[in-house]
Amino acid sequence: MTLLQWLEHLLSQGFHRIGQIEILHGASRPAGAVDHFCVLCHEDDRETVVAALGQPEDFMIVADPQQARDISTYSEANEYRFTKGQLNLRRQWVMHLASIEELLAAIEGFYPASFGLWVAQQRGTLQVENLRVKLGRQTGMYRFAGSISDAGAQQLVQDVCGPAHQCAKKILWQLDQDTPLDDSDASRFDGIGSGLTEPNAIPLLCREACNHFVAECRKISKREFEQKSTA
Amino acid sequence: MSPMPIQPKPHSALFIAGHGSTENPDSSVPYFDHASEIRNRNLFAEVHCIFWKEEPSFREAWYLTDCEEIYVVPDFISEGYFTQEVIPRELELQGDTTVVRGKTFHYCAPVGVHPSMTQLLLRRAREVAPGIDPRETTLIIVGHGTGLNANSTKAIKNQCALLREQSEVPYAAVIDAYMEEQPFIADWHQMAQTAHVVVVPFFIADGLHSFQDIPVLLGIESEVGAAASQREVFRHNPHHLHGRNLFYSSAIGTDRMMADVILDQIHDFDTSHTPS
Repeated sequence: MTLLQWLEHLLSQGFHRIGQIEILHGASRPAGAVDHFCVLCHEDDRETVVAALGQPEDFMIVADPQQARDISTYSEANEYRFTKGQLNLRRQWVMHLASIEELLAAIEGFYPASFGLWVAQQRGTLQVENLRVKLGRQTGMYRFAGSISDAGAQQLVQDVCGPAHQCAKKILWQLDQDTPLDDSDASRFDGIGSGLTEPNAIPLLCREACNHFVAECRKISKREFEQKSTA
Repeated sequence: MSPMPIQPKPHSALFIAGHGSTENPDSSVPYFDHASEIRNRNLFAEVHCIFWKEEPSFREAWYLTDCEEIYVVPDFISEGYFTQEVIPRELELQGDTTVVRGKTFHYCAPVGVHPSMTQLLLRRAREVAPGIDPRETTLIIVGHGTGLNANSTKAIKNQCALLREQSEVPYAAVIDAYMEEQPFIADWHQMAQTAHVVVVPFFIADGLHSFQDIPVLLGIESEVGAAASQREVFRHNPHHLHGRNLFYSSAIGTDRMMADVILDQIHDFDTSHTPS
C-alpha cells in the first residue's frame, strides 16, 4: 500500500487524531462542511467547531494544506516551535480540505515525516538509530557531543524530551544496543498523549535523537569535560 | 532570464535540502517558497523540503515519499561542509546517484554555483537601486566566508567574475566581500570608490546574517536587531553613509526565480548523466 492508501485505510478504521490535530472526517464532519473531504482543527476546539458547523466566527478558516506550516510555526505565546512535536499548537483555526491528498499534505505540514515514519513502522522498514551511533557520526563542532557520559545522556532525556519539555514524540531509540533509556515520563511517553489508542490516533515517532538533542549533548559533554579538568 | 526546460517527472520526488534554524523561522521561508513555486508547475509527483536544523530532518527524508526516484537539490549557496559532507552522510549517498534501500537518489549541485545565478544577482541589484546608473555604482556581493573551507567563497568569486564580464551596462566595479574573512564587508566604504554602492547578500534566507549581522557591519544598524519579519531594513534605501548612497538588498535566495535555478540544476544533472 502507498502512503495515501495507508491513510485511507486508517481513516476507515476510525483514525481521527495525530498530535494535537483532530480530523473531522466522514460522519464526524460538521454539518456545514459536508462538501469537504475533511475538516481539521485543534483537538481542544473540536466541540466549538462542530457546534459552529465548521465555521466558528472568530476562528481563522483556511483551505490550503500548505498553511499548516504557518499555523504551526509559532505557539499561542509567540514562541518559535522549531520541533513540531511540542504540545503548544495554537488554537482557533479550522482547515477545510478537499481531498485525501490534501489531508496527507496537511499532516506533513503540522508534523513533518510523522505519517511516513508510522507507516514504515507498520511495514517493518523503520530503521531506529541509537544515540551512540547518532553521536558517532557527528562532525565539525558537534563531534564533541559524543563524549557525553551515559549518565549525562540519560539525564538529558529527562530534561529535554517528553511532553513536559520540548517534545511529545515516542522515543524509539536507546543509548546503544544494550542500554535502554532509564524509565521516566519522557521515555515512557506513548507519542499520543490524549488517552486515545491506535487506530483512533497514531503516535508521533522519534526514530533518532534530533539535532536539538545533539546540540544539548555537546553542551553537557563540554560541561563534564570542564568539571573533570577542574577536579 | 529564461530557465532551461525540464521534462515533467510525474513519478519522481524532489527534495529541496536546506539548513533551517532552531532560532529563526524566517530562515526556512525561502525553501518553502521555492518548493511551492515548483509544486505549482506540476513537474514532480511530490516536492518536499528537508532540513539540517528543522523538521523533517535529512535523516527522515527517506520516509517522506513512496517515489522510487528522488532528486535532491541542496538549496545552499556554495559547495562546502554541508553539501559535501553533511547531506551525503545524512541521506546515505555515495555519489551522484545512489540506491538507498530501494530508492534511487540523484544528488545535484547546490543552487549557488549555477551560472544562472548571475542574471538573478544582476536583476536583484537593478531592482534594489532603480534609476541608478550602474556605471556610477559599485556592486558588492557579500557572503559569510570562513577560514575553515576555501570552497565557501569560491561561488561568490565565480559570480563576481561573471558579473564583471556581463556585456550589458557594466557596473563601475564588482567586489566580493565577507563577514569573517578578507576583504571584510565592514570596510565597504574603503573598497568602493563610487557615489552609489549596492550590496547583495549571497545567502539563501534573510536570517541572522543578512538581516542582523551585515546591517551592523555596514553601519546601517548600530546593534544586532530582531528577526527579519520584525524589521524594515530594506525599506529605507538608500542609506546615506560615508558620503555614499548605500542600497542594501535582501538575500538573493529570497528571489522567486530561485525555483528556476533549482530546476536548472536538475536539468544540468540529467544532461550530464544521460547515457551516450
